[in-house]
Amino acid sequence: MTVFKYFLKIALKNKWIIIMYISIFFVMTLLNSTDAMKREEAFEETRLNIGIIDKSNSELSSSLKDYLKEKNNIVATKEDEEYIKEQIFLEIADAVIIIPEDFTERVIEKEEAIIIYKDDRKPHSIQIENQINKFLAFANITYQNGQFALGDVKEALKENTQVHVLSKSGFFENSSIETWFRYYFNFTGYVILAVYIAIIGIVMSDFRDERIDNRRKISSKKLLEFNKEIYLGQLTLAIAVTSVFIIASILLMGRYIGHIYYIKYLINLMVFSLSILCLTFLINNITRNKHVITTLSTVLSLGSSFISGVMVPQELLGEKVLLVAKFFPVYYFVRINDAVINSLSEVAFELFMQVLFAVAFLLLGLMFSKKAQRI
Amino acid sequence: MNIIRNYIYQGKNLFRDGTFLFWAMVYPIILAFFFNLAFSSMMNVNFDDIQVGIEENNYIFPILEEIEFINIHKITQDQVDEKLFNEEIDAFVDSDLHLTVKKSGIRQTIIKEVVEQIKQTVKLNRPIDGTEFSVNYVAGKNQESNSVIIIFYSLIAMVSTYGVFAGIETASLMQANLSNLGLRINATPLKKQNFLIAGVIVSLLLNLLANTGLLLFINYVLKIHLFTNIAYSLIFIILGNLLGVILGIFIGVSNKKSPNVKTAIAISLTLFLSFLSGMMGPWIKAIIEKYAPFLNRINPISIITNNLYRINLLGNTKSLGEGIAVLLIYSMVLLIGSYVFLRRKSYDSI
Repeated sequence: MTVFKYFLKIALKNKWIIIMYISIFFVMTLLNSTDAMKREEAFEETRLNIGIIDKSNSELSSSLKDYLKEKNNIVATKEDEEYIKEQIFLEIADAVIIIPEDFTERVIEKEEAIIIYKDDRKPHSIQIENQINKFLAFANITYQNGQFALGDVKEALKENTQVHVLSKSGFFENSSIETWFRYYFNFTGYVILAVYIAIIGIVMSDFRDERIDNRRKISSKKLLEFNKEIYLGQLTLAIAVTSVFIIASILLMGRYIGHIYYIKYLINLMVFSLSILCLTFLINNITRNKHVITTLSTVLSLGSSFISGVMVPQELLGEKVLLVAKFFPVYYFVRINDAVINSLSEVAFELFMQVLFAVAFLLLGLMFSKKAQRI
Repeated sequence: MNIIRNYIYQGKNLFRDGTFLFWAMVYPIILAFFFNLAFSSMMNVNFDDIQVGIEENNYIFPILEEIEFINIHKITQDQVDEKLFNEEIDAFVDSDLHLTVKKSGIRQTIIKEVVEQIKQTVKLNRPIDGTEFSVNYVAGKNQESNSVIIIFYSLIAMVSTYGVFAGIETASLMQANLSNLGLRINATPLKKQNFLIAGVIVSLLLNLLANTGLLLFINYVLKIHLFTNIAYSLIFIILGNLLGVILGIFIGVSNKKSPNVKTAIAISLTLFLSFLSGMMGPWIKAIIEKYAPFLNRINPISIITNNLYRINLLGNTKSLGEGIAVLLIYSMVLLIGSYVFLRRKSYDSI
């Protein structure tokens, strides 16, 4: 087991860079999945993100604000047109409204009384306009003898309508916990791809050194034996990396594991790790060039994750995109994480595809390794 | 003459490493291609009318028919499930003014709001003549939103700093303790200073060339027109290049780790900063803006990203000066830092 031993030795020598790599990507995973929890809320009214600047400070404006706050999330803003426009552009706010000083008079006169920044192409702009116009129309209806009956308006606005949601066998049971796990594991898929190729590439670079390689070739070590030990070494490193992410998910959200189908994520991640490990094995047998390896680590991981639905959910990607994505194992990995299932047999096809990728990568890797053996 | 010879040799050295050139040029293009594939369907926002299913004898039928953004489908109770699942309608309103939907979303929320308004008007119980609701109280100012496009600006910002790899190469050429070539060069009477400057300029030109390739690709092949103000944009791309190369030299000279490790440091650092600036989804940028806006002003990749979209899409040049200053300060500090590591290193034997 000389080869295996040295593989681990080199890995240990590079431990700091490996730890740095894993920690950076881990922080990214956490940021991404924590944010996702807020992004996809359970089944309720869509709340807009709006900014309000109130220069009127009247009774009418403050009850309008109260109403809007009840229906929407308020984001901080400031009275600076460029700042506001940037908030709209970045979709930090769906709309920003400015209530002018002569607001109350303008409402009574039935004039335009509020300035609103929004993107006209989005349904959100209709929603916020409706809310404001409705409130002010109601207020005006109650206007008598120089007084608004804002209490009555408030009372009337409490009237609501029931919404019945059709559900087809757990179609929309996405609780925020489920969402967290889904995004966490999807993003872990990206990380595995990037980190495996990068750090195994670093460790392998010593083996790839031409002089060392030549010495190895004339040694009595059989090629298959050598490959087996190398693969074992890579497997050990891979297990270490994947374990970090599995253990972290248990430490962070362990108390919820009983509520979700955790075993699905676990098995899926293991199968996926295996297929990516084989891919890494293949890459390391195709090329000795470190630029190519660093590049592949970035391009393959980012590119295939983007089109497979790691960063953006698959349902938002076009059909053509997903057609291309099917040529990458990440696609099947994400599909399983996204699926609502009761037993693993429902995702057998996706698991099988990942194993198939693993076998194909491994065989190709062995083939290239054999080819490189000839001088 | 020496300095010109330096340029030529360093240029040749980097160029001769064909794979380096190939990947420096090609892989941002591959990435942009993937990004475009993933996001092309998301970049066009189109608001279609909201589809509402309703029975013909419902008393609010005529009211809904009047509303311009609502498209009415006359259906019967037993068609509801089917129409909802086929997404032919967004919601169904029954005779009690209750809604049936398949999923929640902004479109369903708007219908709910409309139906509730009818109920609330009844509850308000005041005489109305119908004209009250035709008054428009808001003066709209339109600003198109397109947060997804940030990803492309962020990608450009990231690859503008990819001179970092050429910088690392240059550093290893210069240092006697890093490469054989460095050893030989240190034995010559060549001045390190000249060598450093030549290295910076050659790496800069090479990466700028790669960036130009990417920009042409995005503009002419993907047909995404990102630049309206070329002059200001160029300033930031060049500053990104400068920072990248100097960062590479700094990473190169500041430690004795293997080139692989140095490259790994460079990659993970630039990738992480790009992630924070929104390259893997604009929402990350949004949370940072919310909780730690300061980070967006000191993260060099964010500075480049922010200024690129502000200049080109918002016509806003307010943060231009600050951005340029911060990037220059970073470059200066790293340059001085590198020089400190480089100077007065001589060996009797190595």
